[in-house]
Amino acid sequence: MPTLIIDNQTVTVPEGTNVLEAAKRLGIEIPHFCYHEALGSVGACRLCAVEFREGPVKGIQMSCMTPAKDGMVVDTGSAEVLAYRAQVIEWLMTNHPHDCPVCDEGGECQLQDMTVAGGHGIRRYTGPKRTYQNQNLGPFIVHEMNRCIQCYRCVRTYQDYCGGTDFGVLGSRQRLYFGRFSDGPLESPFAGNLVDVCPTGVLTDKTYRFKSRVWDLQEAPSICPHCSLGCAVTPGARYRQLQRRRARLNNQTNGHFICDRGRFGYGYANHPDRPRYPLVGHRRVTWQEALAAMQSKLQELGELFGSGSIGLLTSSRATLETQFLTKRWAAALGSDQLCFEAHPRRDFASRVAASQQLDRSASLEDVRNCDLAVLIGADPLSEAPMLALALRQAARRGARIVIVDPRPVVLPVAFERHAVSVDKFSQLLRGLGRPQQGDFSSSMEELGGSLANALLAAQRPLLIGGTDLLGPQGTQALQHAAKACSQPEKPCRTMFMLTGPNSFGGALLSANGPGFDSLMEGMEQGRIKALLCFEADPLADYPDRKRSRAALARLDMLAVFDCAATATVQESDFFFPTTTVEESVGTLINNEGRMQTFEQVFSAGTPLAESASGSHPPRFFTRDIPGSEPQSAWGILSALMGRSADLDALRREIEKNDHRFAGLSQLKANGEGRRIAIPSQHPESLPLNIASSIGSDQLQLLVTETLYGSELLSSLSPCLQELIPAPFVTVHPQDATRFKLEEGKKVLLGTPMGDLTLTLRIEGDMVPGVAIVPRLRGTVLEPLVPGTESLPCRIEKV
Amino acid sequence: MSLWRDIRGTILPFWVTLRYLFRRPVTVCYPERKQIPAPRYRGRLILTRDPDGEERCVACHLCSAACPVDCISMQAAEREDGRRYAAWFRINFSRCIFCGLCTEACPTLALQMTAEYELATRELLQVVCEKEELLIDGCGKNDQYNFYRLAGIGVAAPRGSNPGESPPVDIRSNLP
Ligand code: SF4
Ligand code: SF4
Ligand code: SF4
Ligand code: SF4
Ligand code: FES
Repeated sequence: MPTLIIDNQTVTVPEGTNVLEAAKRLGIEIPHFCYHEALGSVGACRLCAVEFREGPVKGIQMSCMTPAKDGMVVDTGSAEVLAYRAQVIEWLMTNHPHDCPVCDEGGECQLQDMTVAGGHGIRRYTGPKRTYQNQNLGPFIVHEMNRCIQCYRCVRTYQDYCGGTDFGVLGSRQRLYFGRFSDGPLESPFAGNLVDVCPTGVLTDKTYRFKSRVWDLQEAPSICPHCSLGCAVTPGARYRQLQRRRARLNNQTNGHFICDRGRFGYGYANHPDRPRYPLVGHRRVTWQEALAAMQSKLQELGELFGSGSIGLLTSSRATLETQFLTKRWAAALGSDQLCFEAHPRRDFASRVAASQQLDRSASLEDVRNCDLAVLIGADPLSEAPMLALALRQAARRGARIVIVDPRPVVLPVAFERHAVSVDKFSQLLRGLGRPQQGDFSSSMEELGGSLANALLAAQRPLLIGGTDLLGPQGTQALQHAAKACSQPEKPCRTMFMLTGPNSFGGALLSANGPGFDSLMEGMEQGRIKALLCFEADPLADYPDRKRSRAALARLDMLAVFDCAATATVQESDFFFPTTTVEESVGTLINNEGRMQTFEQVFSAGTPLAESASGSHPPRFFTRDIPGSEPQSAWGILSALMGRSADLDALRREIEKNDHRFAGLSQLKANGEGRRIAIPSQHPESLPLNIASSIGSDQLQLLVTETLYGSELLSSLSPCLQELIPAPFVTVHPQDATRFKLEEGKKVLLGTPMGDLTLTLRIEGDMVPGVAIVPRLRGTVLEPLVPGTESLPCRIEKV
Repeated sequence: MSLWRDIRGTILPFWVTLRYLFRRPVTVCYPERKQIPAPRYRGRLILTRDPDGEERCVACHLCSAACPVDCISMQAAEREDGRRYAAWFRINFSRCIFCGLCTEACPTLALQMTAEYELATRELLQVVCEKEELLIDGCGKNDQYNFYRLAGIGVAAPRGSNPGESPPVDIRSNLP
């Protein structure tokens, strides 16, 4: 622990800390471009110079490249240092195109700040300016190479941190070029991070191009709603339009970065088809009329058929506040027909995941620090993209990554691969739960046993499970295995990928409540006459769409509260528009049980760009803002229950009511969140595994999540919609030969949900005997929902 | 003593007034006769064009950031050739205090002040001016400056062909 003196203040830092970081601890900000906490030092920009007066090194040195040592006396602002930095700025500016007025980085550009701070104004160098041609880097990133200052942050982010291979540095000497070998979209699903790391305007957000200046944006700390990891983001909005999302630092979850689904999935909030008005029977009415009409109908049904005739449903998209109030309202209505997820198998898997010993649950930071990660039935890039990036960081530090999965899995890092079909998971998990034993009855058990031994031997072992493929039973077995592979001093941590951003909250609240299957039966038998859906879409999320459509059609009343035009909204008798995450406040609990709150970024309303159709704002004054009707779901629920919409009071009540949520009212949106400490009770009964038999001329149908197109909200974002692939099915070469199928040709897939014409892909890196289809919303594959028991299917040429 | 001073103080102003009664007036009979202000007078704002006849304003938001009363608003857009311009641009002159800070902030010389001062009206909306009303057909006070011919991003001229620029680097070659 070296102790050194910086600007007359003494500081003691851990061994290996550089002087720049040491100064930061004292609140002294040394100007820098190329150093980045997550990327390390390279000494490329020469801006972080400081003067060493005493100690092992003397004179002007780069503070990012000099490790702190005992006895150092550092001056960060001597006259000589300031003159040196001013010169560095001046030479970095010799080739600058002087185009700040048309540069999107303007206002948040480090080069601007440093140039002004360094006092450089007039270019003295009279030689010619170097120029470059730009490249088209795809739908997300704009390239303007003339602005580059050769800090190498982009390459270090793209290649080292994110594992991308198609972007790098070319050229030599003063003609370095940061780009691809040729034009084309960036391939990494983390490419958007280049926008955040580039300190100048070379790499900027294409979806935000020329939309605003940063000083005009409304921003607030928020949470990404596009998967269960709950990464920290800062969305920015202007003129009622959500215009961009940037990564926000949370060292426990995403660190400095986010994935492209999170960064560019924001478009759903501005979607032109977003329903913004209360509707009764598809007719636009006022809030008062709609609420009154719904309540009188509810009362009528309650009187006629009893309170058990009302079913309530929320989803993993709903905030903890909404879920809690839904539960309260169900109690007030006297109904026990309340469910927090329309997909029963996913529902119970989440409940099992939330019932484990939570000190063993791993955060993304634990993933980054593990030395062995075993993933069972998990495809991180599709189900929780930032997990893939966290695994890469672990592997860079020497961790071993093992993936056991039937699908072709891609990771931005090398890993060990076992293609194992889902029906063998139970054998594998049995072996995994029995480390240090020899008598295995099958090779699968033996594989499990050897992995278990490796987990026992590892220092920071980690088991990661995808609940879609594991199901509730598999999730439970994985937890048992983790327990068996734990030692008191080094527990085997677990992480489960859940359905959505607040699956965990729903799981905690549902306890032993019914699954949606039992609500479904109620509707089919006519016991349940009314269904109230709070940010839930049972039509799209219940695995059997024919069945859910028929059941919903039997209802006397379907009320939907949502922010997107879902399939269920189309069928609703009463519709109430709700706000998006960015338009309201709330709490989400991520997949590890971390409670995180988010703040309101802007108020709901039809974007000016849309309501004024690209022209100037209206030239008259009016009190009502077009499209500003959406209200937060928990606010509507408060109104329905005759409570005041007081968030603090509500959070205190949640805390008081359920001690597992302790600390909720103290949570700050820009903090690291707070881990739930007490697990929920284990669900009493799990839905049974009903494996259908697969005939010899059939394949097993496996529906999986995919990076773009599966998650509801991001699939509505126009820039991601472009990337949704044409519907396809993937089979093993053996099966392709067996059924005489050819790569790229159209095939007919006979599924229980109907016959689909798809493009065939052949992939050797998967198990034979399965047909894998991604869930792609808005395509023919929409009715196929992941996370179900395996079903049989036929495949043939068309 | 003080009485004498008081009498003098009472009479003197009357004397000054009386003297001016027989001089030529300095005021003019507005609106029959109009004063021509100095060229640097800070009157109504205009948006000018560059010597090539293109709109100078690049919708950089600097004027709106500088404006102490927040009376400028705009939306930027991109033309097909990469040129950034204002899709709409509005100045609310009923709020403007004619301080000129916006024109000082403007990096393209687009926004300039004119000598026009006749803005009084009972119809407030008449002085809420959109881009069409602000944009003139000339260069205003400077007929030389052309931002896009100096900024090195290849909008007005191909990349690397503005004055003082070398042609684009060939990234496939490591030769000097
Ligand atoms: S492109 Fe940006 S991040 Fe990369 S070297 Fe240039 S200035 Fe640095
Ligand atoms: S990993 Fe998930 S939560 Fe994180 S940014 Fe991506 S989609 Fe959002
Ligand atoms: S003159 Fe002053 S008040 Fe008027 S628009 Fe310009 S900055 Fe604003
Ligand atoms: S400062 Fe000048 S160029 Fe920028 S928006 Fe205002 S008028 Fe246009
Ligand atoms: S930050 Fe130290 S040299 Fe760039």
